[in-house]
Amino acid sequence: MPRDDILGNRALRHFDVCIIGSGAGGGTAAYVLTRDDARQKVLVLEAGPNPFRGLDRQPHQPLPFPLHGNDELKYAVRGYIQQDPFLEPRTFRIDDTSEAALAGDVNSLPKAVGGAFQHADCKTPRFNAVDFRLKTAMDALIAANPGLLVKGFNDEPANFADWPFTYDELEPFYAEAEMLYGVQGKAGDNVFESRRSVPYPMPPGVPMYFALRLADGARGVTLPGYGPLNPHTYPAAINSRFYGDRPPCVDCGLCSGFGCPNNSKGSPAVTALRRALLSGRCQLRFNATAVRLVNEGGHVSAVEYVDDTGRRQRATASAFMLAASAIESARLCLLSPTPSGAVLGNTSGQLGQNLMFHLQTTVSGFLPERVHGERGRAVTHGISDFRGVAPDGEEIRLFTAAGGKRVALGGICEFGASQGLPITEDGDIYAFQLPGPLGARMGLPLKNALRDQALGQHLFGLTMQAEDAPQRTNRVDLDPRYRDVHGFPVSRITYKSHAYELATRKFYIPIMKQILQQAGAKGFSVSGETVYAFVRPREALLGAAPTSRHIMGTLRMGAERTSSVVNPAGLFHDVDNLYACDGSVFPTASGYNPTLTIIAVALKIAHGIVRTPPAV
Amino acid sequence: MAPEPTPPVPREVPALLLGRREFLKGLGAVLAALASPFTRLRQVYAAARGRFFTAHEFATLEALCDRILPADGDPGARELGAATYIEALLTAFDQPVPLIFAGGPFSNRNPFPDNATGTPSNKRPRDAFRHFIRLTRWQRLRWRAEIFGSDHVAGAAFNDVAAGGPLPGLRQMYREGLRAVDGAARTMTGAPYAGLSSDQQDAILATLDRSVFKPDARRGMSFVDVLIQHTLEGCFSLPEYGGNRGALGWALLRLEGDDQPLGYSIYSAAKDGYNERPDHPMSTPNPDELAGPRALSPDGERIQQSIMTLATALSKVFGE
Repeated sequence: MPRDDILGNRALRHFDVCIIGSGAGGGTAAYVLTRDDARQKVLVLEAGPNPFRGLDRQPHQPLPFPLHGNDELKYAVRGYIQQDPFLEPRTFRIDDTSEAALAGDVNSLPKAVGGAFQHADCKTPRFNAVDFRLKTAMDALIAANPGLLVKGFNDEPANFADWPFTYDELEPFYAEAEMLYGVQGKAGDNVFESRRSVPYPMPPGVPMYFALRLADGARGVTLPGYGPLNPHTYPAAINSRFYGDRPPCVDCGLCSGFGCPNNSKGSPAVTALRRALLSGRCQLRFNATAVRLVNEGGHVSAVEYVDDTGRRQRATASAFMLAASAIESARLCLLSPTPSGAVLGNTSGQLGQNLMFHLQTTVSGFLPERVHGERGRAVTHGISDFRGVAPDGEEIRLFTAAGGKRVALGGICEFGASQGLPITEDGDIYAFQLPGPLGARMGLPLKNALRDQALGQHLFGLTMQAEDAPQRTNRVDLDPRYRDVHGFPVSRITYKSHAYELATRKFYIPIMKQILQQAGAKGFSVSGETVYAFVRPREALLGAAPTSRHIMGTLRMGAERTSSVVNPAGLFHDVDNLYACDGSVFPTASGYNPTLTIIAVALKIAHGIVRTPPAV
Repeated sequence: MAPEPTPPVPREVPALLLGRREFLKGLGAVLAALASPFTRLRQVYAAARGRFFTAHEFATLEALCDRILPADGDPGARELGAATYIEALLTAFDQPVPLIFAGGPFSNRNPFPDNATGTPSNKRPRDAFRHFIRLTRWQRLRWRAEIFGSDHVAGAAFNDVAAGGPLPGLRQMYREGLRAVDGAARTMTGAPYAGLSSDQQDAILATLDRSVFKPDARRGMSFVDVLIQHTLEGCFSLPEYGGNRGALGWALLRLEGDDQPLGYSIYSAAKDGYNERPDHPMSTPNPDELAGPRALSPDGERIQQSIMTLATALSKVFGE
């Protein structure tokens, strides 16, 4: 182990818990387990590099600025902290009838100390109360409304299930998560938000111009049977005030897809993980890629990892927690056969299955004046009407449409715009994505379009993060042909949209178009995971892999060992010291950005292990 | 801008990263330099480091980049230093810390905010972007494969068979691509590419694009694709990467480029709220468009129209 690749207490040799992954799940669990009321010795393994110098410096010294910067090339082109598509590719196919093709980026997430959330614009809405009992609520609704058809809801391969706990049971951990990470927002602004016990820690920051235009547009559009839409400020773990020793956001604009240069984003490294590192009970080894859980079937004794010298190392602990994100956590199990040759932890036969991504639908248009999306936090407003629930989020809404009664559980809709990235937005689309005479490959046409920023200053629109059905056939397994740089089989992703979410998408698209028209858009178009019509026509025709960056399922949580992988405490049903505490445990995906729920669930699991109450 | 004179030898003298042929040529340069006084040796070292192209190749490359993004009233790719950027990438490993990922958090182009008053302060950070980030073992392997080819870097060929061939190195792509362009120019006109009129250069580039130059299996990009991509990068990335000279690429687009640590909204403790910058507002329209939108060029209009046409057609295909 290179000596430089360690943070925290370097003297620790024996560990109670080893956590694999230092992001929203793992960093959060490390914080809870190393608190003064828990006193566990924790080893965190992180596969990626460390952009945060001085992260384990003592608290009386200010938190140093990281190696992140306003640098399109470093992040959007060269992938500074992204899982590298050359070193660790993935393969993708729509179903078992086709051979999976090498597709470097199949919903890849960043790998670095602090995990993927640092790369996001840190949007943190909560799930709705009804999301945690969706299966029961929907079945009751179907029973009470003869003729109500929810396409494919109860047919294989759809595999809906209730969560093993309620919203009310998770709510204290949502409150703790918002305090810990520093969330801005305004209670009551979103009428669909479920009950909250505490106000937001900070008020919303400055709104973006195009978002105000879209909010005005939304107020002029009616949801059939339910009146005008309800735009709201978007909760985000981004400081709008000084919060602890982190400064307020300056709205630099390079937010979604970029690390934060001034630590105003409440990403795991500078919040939960830092507290763990300052406890004296946590050691973090980075550039340490876990490759196998050494096990005797029902018990894990060690984890093997490759360090930055290329050597295979081994770490032991009493218990292990998987927090490498849903795809990588499942892959590590698949790379760790039991002595009898079975997949570790797979009594249910569902390990790696029920993979969910959200079905993103983007409807975009052009605003005649410049949207200046390069100024701001990427997304400051949205609407939650398309989640398809009643106000307070306790019940599913019924719509009366042409064909009779129906439900339409979509998701939160973000108001967005081009971020003004000349290389990867305008340049890429003019020169490469638009075919032949439709584009501008080179010369003065390219220069004129760039100078106008015909896209970069004029494109704006809405993206719905719609719930996708959990399906056993949507899954991660090991690719038979391709290897990663360490010589291990890469993840093969099989994923196909279900009629459930495709029907909902069609239901809301016309309403999304109306919002754009009301906001003054000239022309509009639709894109999404199945139709990359807007920005990626070339990939659309080739069946490109999903890039929603919302990854859930694969190690489903539930009470029954026959139908789930981990129990309600996050412990594997059939491995006595192995937990999961990332998005892999989600039984369903809801229709909201998942990270705050990942954090809340990790808090609940970790507090459960050491029997401590949430600290609000 | 004319390229610096290039010595007729390869570049990095401790040439462990280079192929055998280049290593031998490098060795020749060292032996030649040893005959000179010590100061001369240092000059050879300094001049050799960071150069990959011969003077002629560099002139051809500059001419090509300038056809991708030509000069008009605003600077083109030649003036913006795109070719210098490309050479910096190809010689990234000549430096003790390879020039792949610029450092953070700030350049010195913008001041810190003054959060007491909510105005820009007079204090500026030091330029940390200049201090590139040390690569991990795997990042090093990955970027060496990009530049030298996956079959020329130990440990990088792990998917070459499954993927149907090695990842061609950028050095090889440029060397062969420039030779092909110049060869075509000489065949067609009898003169080297760099010496032709811009119309002739355009015609030759258009002829070769997608006929002679095909996308490779691994990167999915032809030589011209790579050239366009790198020209865009060289014109609009941080100046610390070697291009975007004087940040004039951003000026061309009327973007500020990197804007930390000031940003666009400045928190004021005095009012417990934010001030926006009047010249670069966040929540209101740009000041120059209060009376109405600024018109696009015909090319900008055409691009927007293309996108709408294409998107509408595809939406119909998918019934949306």
